[in-house]
Amino acid sequence: MALLAVEGCTVRYGSISAVRNASLTVAAGELVGLIGPNGAGKTSTLSAIAGLFAPAAGTVRLDGHDVTGWSPDKMLRAGLALVPEHRRLFADLTVAENLQVAGVTVARGERQARIDEIASVFPVLGRKWTTAAGYLSGGEAQQLAIARALVTKPKILLMDEPSLGLAPTLVDVVFGLLQSWRGEGFTMLVVEQNATRLLEVADRAYVMRSGEIAAEGPAAELLARADLFDAYVGRGT
Amino acid sequence: MTQLIQQLVDGLGRGSEYALIALGIAVIFGVMHLVNFAHGELITVSAYTSYWLFSAGLGWWAMAIGIVVSSVLTSLLIEFVAFRRVRGAADFTMLLTSFGVHFVSQALFVMYVSANVRNFNRPGWVTDVVTVGGVRFEVFDLVTLGVTAVTLAGTVWLLRRTTFGVSLRAAAEDFDAARLMGVRSDRVISGAFALAGLLAGVAAVFVLMRTGRASPTAGLTPMLKGVLAALIGGLGSLQGAVLGGFALGVVEVLLLARLPTAWVGLTNGIVFVLIALLFTFRPGGLLGDHRVERV
Amino acid sequence: MTKPRWVGSALGGVVLALVLIGGSQLYAAWGGMARDNLASQMLINAIVVVGIQVYIGNTGVLSFGHVGFGGVAGYAFAVAVIPPDRKATIIGNAPFGLADVHVGHLAGIVAAIVVALAVALLVGYALVRSGARAGAVSATVITLALLFLVHEVAVNWTDLTGGDRAGLSFPVGGALDSLWPIAAALVGAVVVARLFATSTTGRLAKAAREDDLAARAMGINPATAQFLALLVSVAIVAVGSSLRVWELGTITPRFFFFDYTLLTLTMLIVGGRNSVTGALAGVVVITAGNELTRYLAGPDVDIAGLGWLLRDGLSDIFLGGAMLGFMLVRANGLLDDWELDEALLRRWRTRRQPATDTSTSTSAAAVPVDPIVLRADEITVEFGGFQALERASVHAASTEVVGLIGPNGAGKTTLINVITGLVPATEGRVELGDHDLTGLPTHRVARAGVVRTFQNLRLFGALTVRENIEVAALAAGRHRPGAPRPSTDELLALAQLWDLRDRRARELDYGNARRLELARAAAAAPVFLLLDEPTSGMSDSESLAMIDQVRATAAAVGAGVVVIDHDLGFITGICDRITCLDQGAVIADGTPADIQADPHVRAAYLGA
Repeated sequence: MALLAVEGCTVRYGSISAVRNASLTVAAGELVGLIGPNGAGKTSTLSAIAGLFAPAAGTVRLDGHDVTGWSPDKMLRAGLALVPEHRRLFADLTVAENLQVAGVTVARGERQARIDEIASVFPVLGRKWTTAAGYLSGGEAQQLAIARALVTKPKILLMDEPSLGLAPTLVDVVFGLLQSWRGEGFTMLVVEQNATRLLEVADRAYVMRSGEIAAEGPAAELLARADLFDAYVGRGT
Repeated sequence: MTQLIQQLVDGLGRGSEYALIALGIAVIFGVMHLVNFAHGELITVSAYTSYWLFSAGLGWWAMAIGIVVSSVLTSLLIEFVAFRRVRGAADFTMLLTSFGVHFVSQALFVMYVSANVRNFNRPGWVTDVVTVGGVRFEVFDLVTLGVTAVTLAGTVWLLRRTTFGVSLRAAAEDFDAARLMGVRSDRVISGAFALAGLLAGVAAVFVLMRTGRASPTAGLTPMLKGVLAALIGGLGSLQGAVLGGFALGVVEVLLLARLPTAWVGLTNGIVFVLIALLFTFRPGGLLGDHRVERV
Repeated sequence: MTKPRWVGSALGGVVLALVLIGGSQLYAAWGGMARDNLASQMLINAIVVVGIQVYIGNTGVLSFGHVGFGGVAGYAFAVAVIPPDRKATIIGNAPFGLADVHVGHLAGIVAAIVVALAVALLVGYALVRSGARAGAVSATVITLALLFLVHEVAVNWTDLTGGDRAGLSFPVGGALDSLWPIAAALVGAVVVARLFATSTTGRLAKAAREDDLAARAMGINPATAQFLALLVSVAIVAVGSSLRVWELGTITPRFFFFDYTLLTLTMLIVGGRNSVTGALAGVVVITAGNELTRYLAGPDVDIAGLGWLLRDGLSDIFLGGAMLGFMLVRANGLLDDWELDEALLRRWRTRRQPATDTSTSTSAAAVPVDPIVLRADEITVEFGGFQALERASVHAASTEVVGLIGPNGAGKTTLINVITGLVPATEGRVELGDHDLTGLPTHRVARAGVVRTFQNLRLFGALTVRENIEVAALAAGRHRPGAPRPSTDELLALAQLWDLRDRRARELDYGNARRLELARAAAAAPVFLLLDEPTSGMSDSESLAMIDQVRATAAAVGAGVVVIDHDLGFITGICDRITCLDQGAVIADGTPADIQADPHVRAAYLGA
């Protein structure tokens, strides 16, 4: 049974349909990609799944439970975390405070232990504990964004364009991280502009275009399909 | 020299009332980038609550509690009805929204509560005086000063050191990102308004102890002074708000004492000119909001 | 302004004003004196609101003080026009011998305008100095201070103003009872307002209203445009206020304080603050609503069960409620920025053949020019202990495309910010040819020919795609008239935005928005284009297309390019040379091939 199952998801902003009837699944331990051009509806889909708003239609199931329209804090407690596009760190808050906020859904007694754990996994952040997040470099900011999502020890991690705006060395780091996590059995759903790099590490992927799922399949298969790339996606560097 | 010290002391006493109100305004600004011109309505509501409780024969302790409770509830109501809907809108929109709330509230008071002034008794110790080294201290001022200091410390502690405070600052910076972290941003923002209501309530207690009057415009002057004080100190800075309150109080007292009699009526006008000058040359206020815009 | 355009605006203004006047007179014809007065007052309010609209609508700065200017004008008018024998009884001790002054009504209005403008010069200076722009609180504070100050002075300077009890009043029969001055003033006000809005200054002001920083980067100085808008608006408000005093026959401090501010602002907001037609619509709607509520709350109406609602104060609830309601539900008012004459003109235009664009177009290709060099040398920047740039240098010739790469936080954007005057450098120089640009403000740098785009999109959202480009061209036309400029149509075509040219910029999707940013920068007739991550967020096919667009645009304008980006395919495809920064310092400089082989660059930035 899939860990995450989305069926018939429709998102509307006023009269505009950003997402129409999108369905996807993510099994435990899988790294699933969601690729497609700008404006295809990928961010809207993730936002609806994570509970920023309720979809106009469709269902979202986590571990078999219907979680459609659950608020983000409930989703976090249920085990789903989202690293949003552009990271959206709290620039005026320190690294420590950013992590503190990320841990509000964790029981008070455990919170500090989890945060300390994160500090050991990301030693760079440990050194910048009291620095305002706005002063972090691009790489440190990316680490903090991911660290925040890990504080709650989610069952599944959603990531929206993790390599956006990053220098090539950092892009390598990000995809390296995705690959090693996949090796550890971590479940992820990742949206990316950099389709080629993502397909190289993912198990499966969905291609989204103009609000609809246009294609899906094993990553290797999609990599080979030139028609997708020329028209919609383009080759990565 | 003693005269100057006396004036400074008087100014600080007067200023501490302004500081309390300014604190409430600074909290809201920090959270929503909104200058809350409707803050004064909280004091007007408090004034009428005092009057009714007084008419019911209750003493000042009960009245004080009643005032704070009514202020908090009114603040939550205003947030729910008006400000929640314009969250994230342009500053222009929010400013006019708060003006709109102010005008509608005023009209409602005149229409349904009373256009007349109601009086109630002030506690006896309000006029007590203590003399130390040739300088007269009004007990009332000392108490207000003390309460202001404690309130400031408490508010800063709340916002810097508690989970609520960190969540509030996160939600204020990026409402949706905070939600994604698990913060119930809606509730937290309401919490900020409740806090502002609490601060206004405490301020109202002192304003009302001093004036002993309830009228539809009871909150107008305190609100204006509070807004001015918060602006002087630099919107968004809590310490700045308190500093601005004291500064305003001192400047007022000094002007009143030193202006030739013919000009005394212009005290307010001169204060406004000084504020305009301050903003011309230091648009961020004293402890300014000198946020560097990220390009 | 092209000839047909201003004629259209002026005519449209005349039509608008006449419609309003005609409508009000029809209404008045059916009633008695009361309706007559109502009509006159509505038209006078319309003049004042139009005046306020000229400022708030074009600059986006929320002014609470315009009624204060009105008060100044009103008192000036009254003091000038009231006969001396009357003045002797109310302000016999008036200073400067004003008790003996007596001029005709027209001269009085002129005097009012002059006095109000004098105050406006002071306030305008204060606003500029405080960095007023759309959304700035300091501007609102300063204008609010003016409102209070005028009120205080009016209440306290009784020798001049008669204080707040009696005020100043005209002798019996001295009040205005003819429609002609009001009608003439209204027509004049609306025409001036429309002409200003469509003038170059007005359009530049609107661009600054949308995005202050982007406007500066196109060479616009928002302060000048706002200052002029203030002067025009105060003049109109002065006329309207004088007429108001004349019509009422009296003036006290209350007439130009909070109540009137609420009334006029609500009218403007409800109608739509960004258009003159909106302002007039708002006046009509609010006047009607006001009268209706007053009637309902009055003694003539007695509806069972509604007594609790229909009582004194209902009009105030209506007014406050209207402002509040619109802010919550429709902040741009009923008409947003819709203008009657523009709508009619669009209809008329589409019926005829689409006209060929006759705007100035001088091709760069024909004239061989010696390449100009842009140099930033030894730039050092410190932000409170943090070294953002350390003796970094970059230079480019106007025939080259130079890339600026490096890890995040290396200082690339900071370097661009220094060159374009957004950030001061602790050390170093910026030169364009032999022109020293070091430390110049952003708009001066842009006017010298160095134009930039931004990492985070900064389009003029409410303006159309075409207008975004035109406004940059207008600004360039003023300061570098001889510079080569492709026409707006050419730029639209180059950016593949022709089909979207009449859409508002904020409706564009991301890729198109980025292309518009580039086109707009090109319209500013740059000698150099500084592009900050132009392909950020684009797919690779879009990025590759961007190479062509950047090349073509730069060629059309004859500009050199300095570009920051992380997309290596884009950078290596377009750049002649590349400079690599790391931690604020230059670590490599050379051709794309050199850079890609450089071990320092590989370690810090490229990876394997």
